[in-house]
Amino acid sequence: MSDIGFSSRLRRGDMIAPEKVFQVSWSLIFWLVCIFAFGFATLYSAANGKLMPWAEPQLARFIIGLGLLLGVAVIDIRFLMRYAYVIWVLVLVLLIGVELRGVIGGGARRWIDLGFINLQPSELMKPAIVLALARYFHGRGLEEISSPFSLLVPLGLILVPAALIVVQPDLGTALVIIMTAAAVLFMAGVRLWKFIAVGAAGLAAVPIAWTFLHDYQKDRIRTFLDPERDPLGTGYHILQSKIALGSGGVFGKGFMQGTQSRLSFLPERQTDFIFTMFAEEHGMVGGLVLLGLYVLVLIYGYAIAFRCRHQFGRLVAMGITTTFFLYFFINIAMVTGLIPVVGVPLPLISYGGTALLTLMLCMGVLMNVWVHRDVQMASRGSFGYF
Amino acid sequence: MIRVGRAPKRALFLYPGEEVRPSERPKVRLHGATKHAIDTGRMRLMVTAGLFCFAFTSISVRLVDLMLLKEPTSAPGLRTAASAPHNKLARADIVDRNGVILATNLPTVNLYADSAKIGDAKAAADKLISVLPDVKDDDLLRRLTSGQRFIYLRRHMTPGEQMSVNRLGIPGLYFEDSERRVYPQGNLFAHALGTTDTDNRGSAGVEKTFDQALSEKREPLQLSLDLRVQHAVHETLAAGIARFRAEAGSAVVIDVHTGELVAMVSLPDFDPKAVGDSPADSRFNRTTLGLYEMGSTFKLFTAAMALDHGTSKVTSMYDASQPIKIGRFTIKDFHGLNRPESVPEILIHSSNLGAARMAMDAGTETQKKYLRAFGLLSPLSLELPEVGTPQFPTNWRDINTITIAYGHGISVTPVHVVAGISSLVNGGKMIPSTVIKRDPNNIPAGTRVISEHTSDAMRAMMRMIVLEGSGKQADVAGYEVGGKTGSAEKVGRHGGYSEHSLRTSFVAAFPIDAPRYVVLVVLDEPKGSKETYGFATAGWNSAPTVGTIIAKIAPLLGVFPMGHHDTFEPLPTLIAALPNDGKNEYAKKAVASVPAMMMDELARPTISMAPMPTGSRPDTIAALIKADVADLPDVVVEEDGAAQ
Repeated sequence: MSDIGFSSRLRRGDMIAPEKVFQVSWSLIFWLVCIFAFGFATLYSAANGKLMPWAEPQLARFIIGLGLLLGVAVIDIRFLMRYAYVIWVLVLVLLIGVELRGVIGGGARRWIDLGFINLQPSELMKPAIVLALARYFHGRGLEEISSPFSLLVPLGLILVPAALIVVQPDLGTALVIIMTAAAVLFMAGVRLWKFIAVGAAGLAAVPIAWTFLHDYQKDRIRTFLDPERDPLGTGYHILQSKIALGSGGVFGKGFMQGTQSRLSFLPERQTDFIFTMFAEEHGMVGGLVLLGLYVLVLIYGYAIAFRCRHQFGRLVAMGITTTFFLYFFINIAMVTGLIPVVGVPLPLISYGGTALLTLMLCMGVLMNVWVHRDVQMASRGSFGYF
Repeated sequence: MIRVGRAPKRALFLYPGEEVRPSERPKVRLHGATKHAIDTGRMRLMVTAGLFCFAFTSISVRLVDLMLLKEPTSAPGLRTAASAPHNKLARADIVDRNGVILATNLPTVNLYADSAKIGDAKAAADKLISVLPDVKDDDLLRRLTSGQRFIYLRRHMTPGEQMSVNRLGIPGLYFEDSERRVYPQGNLFAHALGTTDTDNRGSAGVEKTFDQALSEKREPLQLSLDLRVQHAVHETLAAGIARFRAEAGSAVVIDVHTGELVAMVSLPDFDPKAVGDSPADSRFNRTTLGLYEMGSTFKLFTAAMALDHGTSKVTSMYDASQPIKIGRFTIKDFHGLNRPESVPEILIHSSNLGAARMAMDAGTETQKKYLRAFGLLSPLSLELPEVGTPQFPTNWRDINTITIAYGHGISVTPVHVVAGISSLVNGGKMIPSTVIKRDPNNIPAGTRVISEHTSDAMRAMMRMIVLEGSGKQADVAGYEVGGKTGSAEKVGRHGGYSEHSLRTSFVAAFPIDAPRYVVLVVLDEPKGSKETYGFATAGWNSAPTVGTIIAKIAPLLGVFPMGHHDTFEPLPTLIAALPNDGKNEYAKKAVASVPAMMMDELARPTISMAPMPTGSRPDTIAALIKADVADLPDVVVEEDGAAQ
């Protein structure tokens, strides 16, 4: 047994914590640190060469986040699977709590004050919904999920929190959650025509949905269609962002040399529009390098899903990877004017606590899948000793 | 389930429980549903990876496109700057007849507070007062703590004030885009334009009449008034008021063929910027709202009526020696010749008795009919909210007919007078007056009120009044002024007429051989002086003021001073028909007779042509005007200046 001992223990999942730490993909963590280093430098530059008010707190959060990542990575994946629904319910309760007694900021009720931290449950819902859906589809064959009724439970898992988030109102996060969930459903093998049907229904509902949109949301979409429509009002962000990007050129103006963003032409330069500032200072090359790092993380996520030997882990890895992908894709597409303005931060770079910690949590779950890639799991999440 | 990556030792052992998950066995041959499931899973992983690749490529391409291929444009910035002053509120401009701006807008901001968002109201109030000292302290604090969500703190702030308030950094204070009406000409058009309130809604003048059109339309509203003429009239009237120590005055210039008012001045006037601080008297538009007994000026209407109706001829003689007694009233003549007088003589010597007898011959109903035709019994149809309704006896008895014949017992506005006199001199057509520019091709035809023949006679007689009568001091060389004085005793504070406070007026048409404009000046309580030999009657103050106005505005209005040598046909005919008592005093030629006392006023042409809009007026006219002022002939002052 000795030559296969390690593998079999791996297989059964009864590794001890140091063994799991050994299994952690340190190269992935290295890339994450690299991305964060870019973010740290950009926040330092955004504050005109000062650690406060952004760079230092962000570093502290990242260190906490790394601990969180490793902590989550060594939890037994079957534990995660067993409590996937429970986690989903807990986050849902938090979401309802936001509705009842949330903190209003920026015109929306998105935060809940837990005393020590201002939590944004809609962010937590991203990993929670991935776990819950993966749990549902784990061990269900294609025949089982071919019946339309079998999709009622996943649809409920998706639409209830999405509806709660829409009314906050936070349409951007709700759409990200729906797209992530759709990716999980797709990976789980739900028939294509069902996606097409839902997509068609969604398109048909667009005119109706338009009437329910808030004025600021309508403005954003109109501005997306014609950014010059109101250059001093709603179109200001995106126009300034494009000017700053254009002024960056191939190699950029150099670290701490950006003018458009530094001279406060660009609002929110430390949060949602940080990529613009980064690209203005480091140019197209810098922007592409950063994109390359993100894609690297994406490939890791994809490989982890590929290498995983159980449906639950595969779905979780793909869901998390999709979440990560949507984060940076939506953000960069937004600042370059490819899609309307939605408040999605750039992962690991934008200033902001909840987003960073949520992301590290997601990465922890991804890492957890990697560590437990060979673990044997029964269809309802038992530990697999048969 | 899938054989990828490093799984080298998979074949060496059988995982516990692997038998229950045949789909995960790497080496078994798969078929049927399970194979289908695996194929689906693999295909979908690939599709997802493909989508990721596509998305990544698209944002990379976008990044390259934005950062490399697109010019680092400043164009959006320029557009931003260009579109900044655009103001959705914009009230339309008001321009004069040549397109010079009389009223326009200045973008401003209003400061308002949301008291629910102001944290420390006391601190906020203290800070605010430090930059806006004139805001009331206790009142401000009360309002900031009132809980209201929208409180105006200051309307129409200057950019400087806005910056200093911004610097305070008080949350809960907001700025609202606004605009303020500005009148670049200051007082000059105060009464005609009127004013707007703080919400930029018209509250007087054409601003009120055309409020809706001005707020909805974009094209400017063009008035008939002419900035240059208005300025000349304003300046001259102000000088006249000062010189003759009058208390107030008004002056109107009207185009007799189109009914357009070219100038309209009421003094004292007000500064539109501070209309609230101006006394009510200065806001009163005397030209359209002031109702005055016009006195002897009305004798022109009486004469026109009598001649046109046929009860009098130019040569009809009326006894002016015996007072008229009617009931308890006795009508006497102050300036009469104590002999029978012809109609021109009645006008030249301003005989009340003669005018009264003409009116009595025509009869009350005829008088009413003609006065109504001259527009003197109905409110002005002018496009201003401030229009007066004439006051006249509802029970029009004989005594009223007599007094109205010489302008007492009926009150009309100065604009009524110029409109009525226009119809006497323009060939006999009554054209409604207006302050809005008329299309030259679309002038109202007007209604005939007297025959052309009567109109000719009226012009001849008006000319004779200036040549021989009370209007001598209104004559201007080359412009053939014809007119009539009027000196009415003002109604005293306790009723009855006051002999020592007069309201003098002079109405003139020029050039009298083919009249283009009618000018009226009314002076309120002018005083006699050494210059006027103690006289305070119209011939000594209103008449020279009118003469000066004509000398200034005729060149501006394109009336050439050449070619007028009293070749006006009706005049010699009239003179020949008159009784000649030995010396033919009516045959004199016109001489330059702008009175010496007004010469310094005239010699100071403050109107420069340079800033005026060219295009409508050729430069030759500008040159002509300068030459004209420089080359005015020496003035002949009539030493025997017989008044009235």
